[in-house]
Parts: sequence; structure tokens; C-alpha cells
Amino acid sequence: MLFRKSPKLIYLLILFALPSLSEREPFDSTYKPLPAQYILFKNANIYDGESNELQNSDLLIKDGIIQAIGDEIAIEDEQLLIVDATGKWITPGIIDIHSHMGVYPAPGVRTSSDGNESTSPVTADVWAEHSIWVQDPQYALALKGGVTTFHILPGSANLIGGRGVTVKNLQRNTIQSMKYPDAPHSLKMACGENPKRVYGNRGQAPSTRMGNFAGYRKAWIQAENYLKQLQEYESKSDNAKELEYAPRRNLEMETLAGVLKDEILVHIHCYRAEEMAVMIDVAKEFNYKITAFHHGVEAYKIADLLADNGICGALWADWWGFKHEAYDMVQANIAIVDQARNGTGCAIVHSDDERGIQRLNQEAAKAWSAGNRAGYNISKARAINWITSNPAKAAGIYDRTGSIVAGKDADLVLWSKNPFSVYALAEKVYIDGGLAFDREVGFYPVSDFDLGIIKPSGVRVE
Amino acid sequence: MNKYSKLFLLSLVVAQLSAEQFLIKGGTIFDGKNEAFIADILIEDGKVAKISSNISVRANETIDATDRIITPGIMAPQTQIGIIEIGAISATKDTSSDIYTIGFSIYDAFNPNSTLVPWNRSNGVTSAISLPDLDYDPLSGLASFFLLDSKLQVNGIKDLAIIGEIGGSTGGSRAESLALLEDLLNFGISISDEDALSDEELGDLAEDNKIASELDLTPRDTRALYRVFRENLPLLMRVNRASDILKLIEIKKKFNINLIIMDAQEANLVATDLAENNIAVIINPVDNIPDSFDELASNINLAATLESAGVTIMFSESRSHNYHLIRQNAGNAVANGMSYLGAIKGLTSNVASSFGISGRGTIQEGNNADIVIWEGDPLEPSIMPLNVFINGENMDLSSRATSLTKRYTNPSDKPNTYKK
Repeated sequence: MLFRKSPKLIYLLILFALPSLSEREPFDSTYKPLPAQYILFKNANIYDGESNELQNSDLLIKDGIIQAIGDEIAIEDEQLLIVDATGKWITPGIIDIHSHMGVYPAPGVRTSSDGNESTSPVTADVWAEHSIWVQDPQYALALKGGVTTFHILPGSANLIGGRGVTVKNLQRNTIQSMKYPDAPHSLKMACGENPKRVYGNRGQAPSTRMGNFAGYRKAWIQAENYLKQLQEYESKSDNAKELEYAPRRNLEMETLAGVLKDEILVHIHCYRAEEMAVMIDVAKEFNYKITAFHHGVEAYKIADLLADNGICGALWADWWGFKHEAYDMVQANIAIVDQARNGTGCAIVHSDDERGIQRLNQEAAKAWSAGNRAGYNISKARAINWITSNPAKAAGIYDRTGSIVAGKDADLVLWSKNPFSVYALAEKVYIDGGLAFDREVGFYPVSDFDLGIIKPSGVRVE
Repeated sequence: MNKYSKLFLLSLVVAQLSAEQFLIKGGTIFDGKNEAFIADILIEDGKVAKISSNISVRANETIDATDRIITPGIMAPQTQIGIIEIGAISATKDTSSDIYTIGFSIYDAFNPNSTLVPWNRSNGVTSAISLPDLDYDPLSGLASFFLLDSKLQVNGIKDLAIIGEIGGSTGGSRAESLALLEDLLNFGISISDEDALSDEELGDLAEDNKIASELDLTPRDTRALYRVFRENLPLLMRVNRASDILKLIEIKKKFNINLIIMDAQEANLVATDLAENNIAVIINPVDNIPDSFDELASNINLAATLESAGVTIMFSESRSHNYHLIRQNAGNAVANGMSYLGAIKGLTSNVASSFGISGRGTIQEGNNADIVIWEGDPLEPSIMPLNVFINGENMDLSSRATSLTKRYTNPSDKPNTYKK
């Protein structure tokens, strides 16, 4: 006998395996999905989030996973629920890459306004998730608009504003139980008018754009040094380690070092073309990657540069004029970014707004039509990527969600009509195969805030 | 007369005619009042000259509008178009006064060359009511009406409503604001036509009145209060909480004034009261966020609820730069239960009738020809206008946005700055 599993060994394995299975790092996700449904959608029109449009197609979900997409899926099973989707549309669950729900909740009162730690230009140590109010009544409204996942960022007052977090749109009593499991953390940075206004008005740096850039670079120099110290210490032998103190923990530096180690995704609030170009050089100077520029009203001016560097533009369809840096709006912005370098650009429609997040499909429709008016020939099937697979990529969760592909999580929206129409309503929304919203029967989450606040025994939105 | 001057005259005549006469054939017309019908429209001398099923006139320009939808030009009821250029640059804003309050008029500040004008026009908005900031409580200045025709000779109606606000604020109690409103109206009603003849007299009256003197009302402010009663000048009040709306209805009844309310996020709780008292409302139907404790009943069904109670509805959008989004907002109102015709009226004729703007808001013979021909359904945000007429003029639909788009979508060897 070459090898015989000894019961003792198995016991030991379990003993060692258990802690690593059950051990939870602080703030880790404790998300549990809703009961997964076993559904065959029959005869649906599908935008799959991979630029494909499938007409009159079937879609099977089970155990929270997309099982199959095809012309005629036939299954005999008493457990199977058949949903007739004739004339309806299915898209991946919508993902908003720029939200402040929870950190700027409704009602917008000072006492819950927790999105900007605007007390110092670099606050890489703060985490948006530690500000989130889980009873924000806005999540459910976004869910009714088909949003299954969103990325909550700190505000843009600071050069480096802190960590963002990706959450599932399932309202729970703790932040941890809403967190998207294993989604990477993000870092929020901001260019331009906001930081220089906030700190310039206080007579401190930065008060200019060059001051902004000096601020980022100083922070990254510190981070490089910190990481070097850390790596030097880590490379030492155990004996050598015992002879000296480990480098002191530094929350700010931990976040920035996380970026330098490619563990944390960089999202930058930035409007002007030339500032984005300089930001790209700062990233090159310190050897980190920028995942997305947000707002980017002038992204169309450097669309090729964004495509060459694999940076997404998370943009509005038409916002402009509230600031000088938001003056050069073109409605084709999203399309131009998408079509850069033979269609290798990454365009995202984001909301940054609790009204806009409820109709990102309509915002995509405007951007799509403006692009085609400007001379492109973009299909709706591709434009749906702007609110599904592309934001999934920018949030680092594309391997799990963002498109309708067998094996991915069943985050889906069933629309009453083609979602590029203003009249299309999300009828049913599924998160991990669990029914999270059903318009027909009035099934939707009600936050504690919504309860008994107008009528003692009623809910705020019937 | 030599032949050159004859030619010159002839070209002048042709130019004038082509500017003045259009025949729009076969469009599907929502005239702002009725369900859609198919007809031809003849525009002459800036007016709708004729609407008929088959007009055979040799017009200077004929537009085939088969399969197109035609509506009155969109009227924007609650904007700052023309008095704001860039939100964060105060030098480009003419929206507030430190001296005048109730009588602060923004009319003279209107900039017809603002980039907001062609952009909103290219999206189908032909006229706008612009409001000063709500700086003072409860009354804060005068709203004016403007045509978005980019004419330096401004075409509008000066001071057609007093604006104000009742609701939660960081300052005093709303009870104080309501009392102050009543006191101001009592003062206004006491002013005779004779008093109003001179600023001096109005100044003296304000000095003698406890509240008016406390508020340092200028003759302009006092005259605005006088106009509420002598000219039935509407009070356009921002109010959200249901109980506040009811208080304003009481005040309306007590003083018999013309009241229009805006924002009105809890109007769904008092819809029948609003209908019974003929109070028109300006709402943003996509604003279902309980932004404050005054707006807890905020609901996506607001437009539908108000419509079924019989309330006259107009649509707003929070950003003047993209005020044209009121049509997308109206589309969302329809998606959530409002009638299509009701939504079209809300974008057009309801604004004209609520603010007493005559000759606009509907496509009917004799009216000014403010008309939009749309590619398709105007409530679909992906649909754009093909033609926009203001006072019968076929307007330029380009904008700074279209110029920038052209510059950046036409590849060239030259640097961008050498392309126009």
C-alpha cells in the first residue's frame, strides 16, 4: 500500500483547513444571496452584454448561475419555473460604477452626509464603506431601475479621497452583508476644480492644478518608500525579522501601497483632457494602472489615449455647464470613447446621481443615438455593454457578472420593452438568481426609513 | 431704377418670403390640446396661417413631414436659461440681488447669446421662463418669459410671476414664513392704483408698514406686491410638504390670488385639493427621491396621480443647461401612468395657459409659429428635432456641442485648433 489516508491526517487537514475557511478578515463580505430560483425564460430578446443581440431566445438559470442560452431549451422538471418572456427583453443586471448612495443618502441632511472627508487633501486612509447608511431609501429605487450592483465612492473634494466599495443591491442590516464578495477595493482620486477650490479657499495647498499634481506625486513617493520598507522587511529571514520591529502600520500607506501592488483599482474624477493625460503620466511615473476616469466631459478629446492605455471613461450622456471644466460637453462623448482605436475603447455610462441611476438604460439610449448621429454605426447590443460588462470590468467583477454567459452569476433584468425606450420598465430583477424585484406583484425591499414615516402603519412608497 | 437695384430688391423680396412662408406637409400633429391628427401646416409671417388636410399653396419652402411628429415648441417653465452660463462661476450668473427682494427682475440680464439657448433649442425648447434664485423667504423676485430665438433684441414678457418658497429651512420656522407671506399680501392689497403711480408714494407706504419697513422693501418690491392684486400676477411658490401646500391653498382662497406651485413633491397627498382650487403645478416627474423631510412622499407616480385628480401639470428639470430633458422626464411620467396627451400638454400648452402667455403653446391658426418637427416620438430621449420654428423662423439647430463634435469626429492631419 503506497498511501492510505489515515483518519488522523484527515482530522488534521480539517483542523488546519477550518480556520482558513471560516476566518474572516475585518470588513470582509458576509453577503448571502436570496433563495436562487430555477427558471427557464422562454422566447426572450436578449442583449447579452457581450455585444450580441439574441432574438426569441431561451435562458436557463439555476443555483444562482446562468446555465444555458439557446434557441429551444427543453427541460422536463417539476421544480422548473417557466417565465414567458415573449416580446420582452433581458439584459444583464445594470451596474453603476459611480454612486454615492449610502454615503450621501436621502434625505440629504448634514447629519448623514458622509461622502467627503474634506479635512485634508490626501485621505487614502478612509473607506467609503465605513460611512454607508444601510437604510438609505435610494437603493430600492435603483433596484426598480434594474441596478443589481453599484460601486460607492468617496466624494471628490480630496486629491486622494479614500477607498470605494462595490456592493450588491440587496439592502441588508450591515454593510458587510451588502458587500460584493471578493470584489477588489478601489481608490478614489480627483483632478481639477474641486480639490483646488476646497483647499485653496482655506489658504492651503492645493490651490492650483499644478498644486494638485504635486500633491498626488508627493503621496505616491511616500507610498513607494513605504512599500519598499515593507518588502525589505518581508524578504528577511524569520530570525532577522525577530531582531527588528515590523514597519508600523499606516492606513493611508496601506491603501496607496495596495494600488502599487495592483490590488486596488484606481478611479479618478477628472474632466479635462489635458489633466487626464497628465494623470496618465503620473501613473506611469509610479508604475500603477488607472482603471477609469469618471465624468470626463472632455474624454472625447483624448479617446485614443484612453484606449491605448486601457482606461475606461465612465461618463454622463449629457451633463454639462455646472463648472468650467464641464463646459465642453458633446453628447457623442461616450460613443467616441467607445469607438476609439477601432472600437477597443472602454465606455461606461455612470450616474453619480440617485435619479440617474434609476434609468441608466435611457442614458445609454441617448449616448447611443448621439453617437450614431455623429456618424458611428453602433448597435444597441454594443451600447448595452456601457451599463453592464464595461462597468463590471472597471469594478473588477467581470469574471462573475456583467454579461449573460453560461457559468456567470444570474444577475438579470427582465424588461417590459426594449430597454432603449423611455417606456421600458424593469419588470423583474434577479440578483444571483434570486428574485429581488417583481413589479407585477409589488415585491420590493422597504428600508426601515420607509416604514411608518408618513402613515404610522404604511410604507413611504406604496 | 437701374437693373442692379432691381435685382437687389428682388433678392430682398425672395429672402423675406423664404423667411416667412413654410408649408409642412403630412405631419402627425399634436397641437397641444387634442389627440394627434394628420394635416398640413402653413406658416406665414411668423404665424400659423392655416391647418388643413391638404393645403396647396406654392410656399417658398415645403417640408415633407410624413411619419414625423409635430408638436408646439416646448415651453420650459422653471429655468435659469439666459441668466446663468457656468454654475460655479458667479460672474456668469445673474440670478440674485442683495438689494431687491420681491421686486427683483432678472429680465434685463437675459443673454440671448448664452450657449444654453441654442443647445436647449436644438433639443426642441423654444421658450423659457427664467427665475431668480430663491434667496429670500417667503417671496424672492420676479420670473420672466423669453423666446429662445437668439435675437439680441430680446423677445419676451417681463416679470410675469412672483416667485417664493415655503418649507423647511435652516432659518426660522415655516410658520413665520407663512405669517410673513400673509402680512406681505395684506400690505399689497392695501396699495391703491393711485399709490402705485409714484415710487415716492410706494416708498412712503413701505416705511409706514411695520413688516415692509422691517424687510427694507424698495418701491420695486412694493410694486410687485401691488401687481399681485391689480394684475393678478401669479405667485409661483416652491413648496413640497403636503401640509404646507394646504396652507398655501388657504392663503390663495383668503386673498383670491393666482397660485402656481413648483417642486410639489408631496402634491400626491393633496391632489384633489389642488384640482378643486385650480392650482397648476410644476413637477419633475423623475424626482422620486425624498431629498428632505419635506419630500417624504416623493413618488414616481406623482404625475399620474395628479393627472387623474385633474390637476394642470407642467414639467421641470433641475439643470437649466439640459432643461430639454423635461421631455425625457415627461416620457417617464407616461411610462409610469400618465397619459401621452397629458404629457404633451404639460410640455406646451399648460405652460402658456398657466402663466397667461397668449398666442403660444398650441398649434392653431393665428398663433405664433413655435413648432417642432421631430424625427419620431418626442418623449423618447433618443429622438431629436428635425426642424424648430420660433415665430415662424426655421431655426439653426447647431450648438457648441455640435461644433465640438464635428471637430473631434473628422480626422485630419491638421491639429484640431486649425479645424472649425
